[in-house]
Amino acid sequence: MEEKIKVNALTFYYNTKAAICGITLPMYKNTVTALIGPSGCGKSTFIRCINRMNDIIPNTSVDGEILIDGVNIYEPRYDVTGLRRRVGMVFQKSNPFPKSIFENIAYGLKINGVRNRYDIEGIVENSLKSTALWDEVKDRLNESALGLSGGQQQRLCIARTIAVQPEIILMDEPASALDPISTMKIEELIQDLKHNYTIVIVTHNMQQAARVSDYTAFFYMGELIELNKTETIFTKPEKKMTENYITGKFG
Amino acid sequence: MSTHLENDLENVKLKMFEMADMAIDAIRMSVESLKKSDVATAEQVIQNDTYLDKMEIMIDDACIKLLVTRQPAAGDLRLVLAVLKINTDLERIGDLATNIAKETIRCDGRTPLKPLVDIPRMGGICIEMLKDALQAISTRDVARAQRVIETDTEIDYLNMQIYRELFSYMAENPHTITQAMGLIMVSKALERIGDHATNIAERAIYYIQGEDVRHQL
Repeated sequence: MEEKIKVNALTFYYNTKAAICGITLPMYKNTVTALIGPSGCGKSTFIRCINRMNDIIPNTSVDGEILIDGVNIYEPRYDVTGLRRRVGMVFQKSNPFPKSIFENIAYGLKINGVRNRYDIEGIVENSLKSTALWDEVKDRLNESALGLSGGQQQRLCIARTIAVQPEIILMDEPASALDPISTMKIEELIQDLKHNYTIVIVTHNMQQAARVSDYTAFFYMGELIELNKTETIFTKPEKKMTENYITGKFG
Repeated sequence: MSTHLENDLENVKLKMFEMADMAIDAIRMSVESLKKSDVATAEQVIQNDTYLDKMEIMIDDACIKLLVTRQPAAGDLRLVLAVLKINTDLERIGDLATNIAKETIRCDGRTPLKPLVDIPRMGGICIEMLKDALQAISTRDVARAQRVIETDTEIDYLNMQIYRELFSYMAENPHTITQAMGLIMVSKALERIGDHATNIAERAIYYIQGEDVRHQL
């Protein structure tokens, strides 16, 4: 299987304190990798390293490297804007722009230089269709995105992310603020999207990791304890600590 | 639009039906091989049993994966639990058919003790029971599953009738003991297949209604 992302000995410091220490793990193309672990174990810090979102936090530094398609994204002259175009991100709380549903998706396209109205309309429609939102919103594309339900807003944010055709999608607890039905829709969506994208998802919900991912990485106190196929992690994990965590003995 | 859970459930169900078809073939072929003293067919049954064994492991794995990664609930959960158990029943049916086929091979070259009538009849009833039990799952038909459970007494009755007949053969002529014991073993195997078909019907009711009807007689 092709390694889309390869993390080598990654350490991330807030001031002098290492929040993640020497993480090495591959993430494969067209798979979903779930990151699980107790609060403060470094999952979110780790995922935000993959599109260099942590760059904007003062007094932080990085050791090690993250290769995407074999190129280290922490090279000094690496094009960070281009990186964020290739690596989309969906956050815990849906954050649609205070604009119309249509504009939410069209905005990213416009700033990426897509000018043709027909192109934009086509991409908006396709993005909404691939997030199973089209039928729900097609008659009110010009209404404010803020009028959508929480689950719809989150799917809109995913549609917005995929409109600019990234290669990788990072999701930081994308369903933790949603009701069970909306959560199920997002989970179904994640599994459909993996055919076209490489997905990394942080989740607090172990059952969700089991449901949506192909690989699961268990983090604890900034270290990667175990990376394995999701089925293996939840049936016969190699590390005792992983078993203790997923069976609820700590964390 | 069907969900990933629904697709996975449908897949394990289809695999189970595929395995059931193989088990039914095994019963039919083993009884036929005995009736016609057809060693080649008997050997085929023994060979096919390895596929049934592989299917058992494959279905178990698929169910475990489904339990872990899809976390089914209610009717979906009952289906997976039923498939896990039916899987074992089907594998045992394959083993019992193999025992019958081995008896065909053991009897090779000997003059049959008697033309077989009741044993093929038992085999036919077992096959019908199995088909009905599976149909009950497919169409969620509790009444049909119930009828399978009731039919088992017919199998038990035939089994006892065969025993009595063969005992009288052995009492009259001790030279028939080896062959008669072989046929008693075959009859017992078919009686056990009837029990497994009954188990499958009970699991069908559990899947459909959530009601455990085992050990109620």
